[in-house]
Amino acid sequence: MTEMMIETRNLTKKYKGTRAVDALNLAIPQGEIYGFLGPNGAGKTTTIRMLLGLIKPSSGIVQIFGQDLRRERIKILRRVGSLVEYPSYYGHLNAVENLETIRRILNVPKNRIDEVLRTVGLTKDAKRAVKGYSLGMKQRLGIASALLGSPELLLLDEPTNGLDPSGILEIRELIKRMPKEQGITVLVSSHLLSEVEQMATGVGIVNQGRMIFQDSIPNLQRKAGSEIHIALSEPDAGLITARELGCFPRLDQGKLVFKGIGNEEIARLVAALVDARHSIYRVEERRKSLEDLFLTMTSGAGATAETNGEAGTSAGGAPRAAGLPKEAAQ
Amino acid sequence: MNQWIAALRSERIKLGRSQILLLAVIDPLLCGAIGLFANIPGTEEGWLALLLVMSLLHAMLFLPVMTGIFSAFVCRYEHAGGGWKQILSLPVSRNALYLAKLFVVGGTLALNQLLFLAAVLAAGLFKGFDLSLIPWELFAPRLIGGFVACLPLAALQLFVSTMWSSFAAPLVLNVIFTIPNILVANSSEIGPYYPWAQPMLAMMQAGGEYDFGAFALPLENLMITVGGSFVLFLAAGMVYFNRKAV
Repeated sequence: MTEMMIETRNLTKKYKGTRAVDALNLAIPQGEIYGFLGPNGAGKTTTIRMLLGLIKPSSGIVQIFGQDLRRERIKILRRVGSLVEYPSYYGHLNAVENLETIRRILNVPKNRIDEVLRTVGLTKDAKRAVKGYSLGMKQRLGIASALLGSPELLLLDEPTNGLDPSGILEIRELIKRMPKEQGITVLVSSHLLSEVEQMATGVGIVNQGRMIFQDSIPNLQRKAGSEIHIALSEPDAGLITARELGCFPRLDQGKLVFKGIGNEEIARLVAALVDARHSIYRVEERRKSLEDLFLTMTSGAGATAETNGEAGTSAGGAPRAAGLPKEAAQ
Repeated sequence: MNQWIAALRSERIKLGRSQILLLAVIDPLLCGAIGLFANIPGTEEGWLALLLVMSLLHAMLFLPVMTGIFSAFVCRYEHAGGGWKQILSLPVSRNALYLAKLFVVGGTLALNQLLFLAAVLAAGLFKGFDLSLIPWELFAPRLIGGFVACLPLAALQLFVSTMWSSFAAPLVLNVIFTIPNILVANSSEIGPYYPWAQPMLAMMQAGGEYDFGAFALPLENLMITVGGSFVLFLAAGMVYFNRKAV
């Protein structure tokens, strides 16, 4: 069994009666990039704060590196790098001095400062007061601070916030490199499914303080389910052609929408449609948005209907009647 | 201990090029001017008289106000840029960090007090007083006592400054409580327990029939009160800081 870097059991934080984090069970193995996904206010930052000991849980246990956070906080924090919510900085100091305030506590060699500045691409602006930095540069400085102590575990709370597209790409590549090159385990929170998909290996989805899904990225993609949209000249006639092939699409604004459909089936379908003299304008794959995913995952009834529907389209036959009204309702 | 030294060295960087030390210079300069204009004969009692004249503004107003400013200052840069959550995510205990900040405040106050002594000496020399006549046995308890009497207030102000994220709020509170000093010092019952008046009570005991109200209290007794309130405020501040949600 792989060693768990972070493990929480029934982690709960109550604020005046409401549960910001509710019985959360995190399990993050070594070497993983764990995407911690959820909408704003889902309890991501609250959880990360509890993992760092910045706030005390109302109940539950946090174990990092297999040690109890309450008892071994200082020892644990020596091996953890973090960036919480928005970057922290001392505006009157420049980047080197900012990192020096941290270096003196971590007690790492001075050349680490130059190294991390190079890693995040701040070498050029290192001697400027940080109050003149853009949000993106402050974010880079925050990531540099998190890396300074050569941590084994990185907790990054929305690290690409405020970065421009090239900055996002850079940071994403940086995060992806870490487990490979240095064996670092990374927890990265985000409210964007696409971002997590592009860098994470595992994912945990929280909503209203509760963990509603925790698995690998491929399993999430399976669960999210993609749809194939086919735009063509005569959708009504196309619908019949598709049914003859045993596929049961729904009609959406002149497009045939197929759910849970395999590559082979699409190929056969497109060939059949072309044979039937349809003009095919577009064949596109649409992912469910995170919001849709949340809807299916949070409402228990919806989730079961969903699986029924998928089974209906793939197996055909008897469940068809059950599947169709559901598709019509969408 | 190592954590405390590390935290202290980190604080040193944060103070950096900040102009806080300028504030520690203003007080001796103004008090020095007062000393220069005071009409004091250059006798053996002259030095003590000069110290007392200059202490009035220094101990009654500047010391308590400076204590508040320094305490608020070491918390300001943490409140402003989200420093608390960063530094508390580092391997440093909250107690070590808190004590490091208190030490910085204490150190700045000690420096302020030294500069004040320098101002007294300069004013005396300018007036042509004889340096060899300085009554050190009278100077030392007042200067050191004045510094020590600031520490409970420093602990109290640091407590308030860590609690309130505003820079101005603790300062306003401090000034509001500093202004009644002259009245409070008249009361031998409240005076010794009033943290804002303690520096004044420690520095301005003139001896004999000049002492009235709380000034009549012997320095030893005052120091017991000072020590007790320091322990109380420090403990309250540290208990709060250890529980503070960041």
